[in-house]
Amino acid sequence: MEIKVNNQDDIKVIKLIGDFDGSSANKVEDNIMPYIENHSRLIFDMGECEYVSSAGLRVLLIIAKKLKSVEGFGVLSNLSEEVQDVMEITGFSHILNSYDTVNEAINYMKKGE
Amino acid sequence: MLRVDTYPTHEHNGIKIRRGKALPFGATIVPGGVNFSVFSKHATSCELVLFKKHEKNPFAIIPFPDEFRIGNVFTMMVFDIDYENIEYGYRMDGPYNPREGFWFDKEEILLDPYAKAIGGREVWGKDPDWDDKFQHRSRIIFDDFDWQGDRPLEIDMKDLVIYEAHVRGLTKHPSSEVKYPGTFTAIRDKIPYLKELGINCIELLPVFEFDEFEHSKISKVTGERLMNYWGYSAVGFFAPKAGYAATGKYGMEVDELKNLIKELHKNGIEVILDVVFNHTAEGNEKGPYISYRGIDNKTYYLLTPQGYYYNFSGCGNTLNCNNPIVRNMILDCLRYWAAEYHIDGFRFDLASILSRDQKGAPMVNPPLLEALAHDPVLGKCKLIAEAWDAGGLYQVGSFPAWGRWAEWNGQYRDDIRRFLKGNGDMVGRIIQRVQGSPDLYSDRGPTASINFITCHDGFTLMDLFSYNRKHNDANGENNRDGADENYSWNFGYEGPTDDYGINRERIKQVKNAITILLLSRGIPMILAGDEFGNTQFGNNNAYCQDNEISWLNWELLESNQEIFDYFKKMIEFRKKHPVLRAEQFKTAYNSSGYPEVSWHGQEAWNFDFGASTLTVAVMFAGGAEDYGTEDDQFIYAAINMHWELHGFELPELPEGKDWHVVANTGMIPPEDMWDENNHKKLADQNEVLVTARSIILLTAK
Repeated sequence: MEIKVNNQDDIKVIKLIGDFDGSSANKVEDNIMPYIENHSRLIFDMGECEYVSSAGLRVLLIIAKKLKSVEGFGVLSNLSEEVQDVMEITGFSHILNSYDTVNEAINYMKKGE
Repeated sequence: MLRVDTYPTHEHNGIKIRRGKALPFGATIVPGGVNFSVFSKHATSCELVLFKKHEKNPFAIIPFPDEFRIGNVFTMMVFDIDYENIEYGYRMDGPYNPREGFWFDKEEILLDPYAKAIGGREVWGKDPDWDDKFQHRSRIIFDDFDWQGDRPLEIDMKDLVIYEAHVRGLTKHPSSEVKYPGTFTAIRDKIPYLKELGINCIELLPVFEFDEFEHSKISKVTGERLMNYWGYSAVGFFAPKAGYAATGKYGMEVDELKNLIKELHKNGIEVILDVVFNHTAEGNEKGPYISYRGIDNKTYYLLTPQGYYYNFSGCGNTLNCNNPIVRNMILDCLRYWAAEYHIDGFRFDLASILSRDQKGAPMVNPPLLEALAHDPVLGKCKLIAEAWDAGGLYQVGSFPAWGRWAEWNGQYRDDIRRFLKGNGDMVGRIIQRVQGSPDLYSDRGPTASINFITCHDGFTLMDLFSYNRKHNDANGENNRDGADENYSWNFGYEGPTDDYGINRERIKQVKNAITILLLSRGIPMILAGDEFGNTQFGNNNAYCQDNEISWLNWELLESNQEIFDYFKKMIEFRKKHPVLRAEQFKTAYNSSGYPEVSWHGQEAWNFDFGASTLTVAVMFAGGAEDYGTEDDQFIYAAINMHWELHGFELPELPEGKDWHVVANTGMIPPEDMWDENNHKKLADQNEVLVTARSIILLTAK
């Protein structure tokens, strides 16, 4: 799995490329956690992530809880229908809001100010 | 803080290991790796076999060094495991001597009896690779579901209305209009429907991993594949059926089922699991090695002195439930489902087997049943027994209960059916059944009785009034399987008909049945689909039919809307009248100034208890002081199962109250059942005329 991070003003857009499963879960967690500080704002671009396993969802959950604890904010964007369904079915959809595109997510975050 | 025991001490072909913890059994994720622990009393050695997911050949076989064994438990911690992408099993060496009860075979790769998830059948009905020696593969999961404050609902037993459903059958039919038909998640889509109906508990047919291909064959009659559809044959007791999950192909069935339970709870619906501890999927001497047989045959199964399997289950073998090891496994299992899945209760299939000792003889105080009744984790769980087994033990009314166990009341089913069919000799028994079966449960109260007229096993309610005989040819056993005593009646034509009169009679009988069921004290249980007249086309044993025979046809909901409406309003009626849900067999005079339950004939206050008759009326008087209602409640039901019209003289009400009509099954909608606010005052307060095979239900206002 590849992780690309872009800054859009003070928002970090994190693009996950490849399968997000047990073999990449630790890598994602280790790479993302340092970005989480007070009031940090993260957007995950899932456009090139076709599969999120149970371990992957758990990392997202941990990230979401961590963000909440520092009054940060995170959203998902660009989810494939399949991944979106899996999150919905397994009860992980409540952890992070989801937007169709990265731009929508950015707009939402900026308006949220 | 780092623990000092999180470092490997040994290495096997590059894999780092150390001695593990004996408890808990199974595979547990611990810091740095996974702890494996498995019991075998008689094995001489054991190996852990590790596979990459779906691969036929293992990538590692690690023998447990003898120093890792503690007592009869083989333990090992394996470091740096990608837990999500592996499957594991065990190989055990030991004596092979079936006469003595030993079946060890060191070549067989065995499922972990404590596996929390099981691979191999992740997509329902997908042909397995039969060349694969390891068919049911233990997997490792994380029990860290985000419950968001949920816990079991603990609804009072007396208030339950149970809905018995098959996970796949409920939504597999195209008419159910869900995105993922036949799955756990599809049940979520039906929650609004279940709420509208008014049930508050769903009882699921077995959801532990089973093999739908067990005994599977092509039917000579229909050419279709016959499956192990019901699933009363567990492969593993701790893992949900992956093929029931839309996400089973991703190994996420555990989260999917938990999420379903969370959503049901959020909507006020409890979940009871139908659990099958009487036997396993390994069958008899000719069955496969899946797990238990190869791990410790003598411990897990009841064996004859010659080493054969006892068959009290009718399914080839019998689990040795009162062996201390197996007993603990069952306890661990139920605690796990209660604690980790928030399950509200369990219905035990052929529960009488659980009361047999290690030689198969019934015990007075079976330790397993006692342990379950007093278990701390299961302390608020509903425990329901199917109080008989296939070995001839029949304990309805006498199942060892410790004040905790309820029973499927098979007598209720048979007596109500016979009365509905027109057997007046049943009336004495009907009186017992409606009162909650005090003849059976005198010291336990009505809540010990799960009342039902239909369940998965037998005719659907509509079929009960559409067929004289079972029609099980599609099962491929020349119609020999399934019960012969159904007390059913077709009203003059076998099967579906265009005859308006016959169809009216059938619908009326369905309403009569549900009226009696929901007026009876005890816990009502409804078979899914009966509320819209679902049919199995006369098949009364559809255990192998994974097709339109078993799948609920939701189109019938539209054509039989009146049946649904009637069910819904009857459930509502029951909920508004606590006197129907009493926890004691109270019938004597109460604060209303009337007897709490009284029986009447065509003359009020005059019922001949010795008679054979098809006309009987019951009055419930719920005293406001006794039941905490706003006002005294009076319910009167005139039941006429005779083929002619009869007049019933009405009991006089207290000054200022009049009888109002709630329901009249002899009428067609909308006059069959009135809304709460539209109950019509009877013009004649002295008598009601009840048409043939009808029930008139009244309340006082």
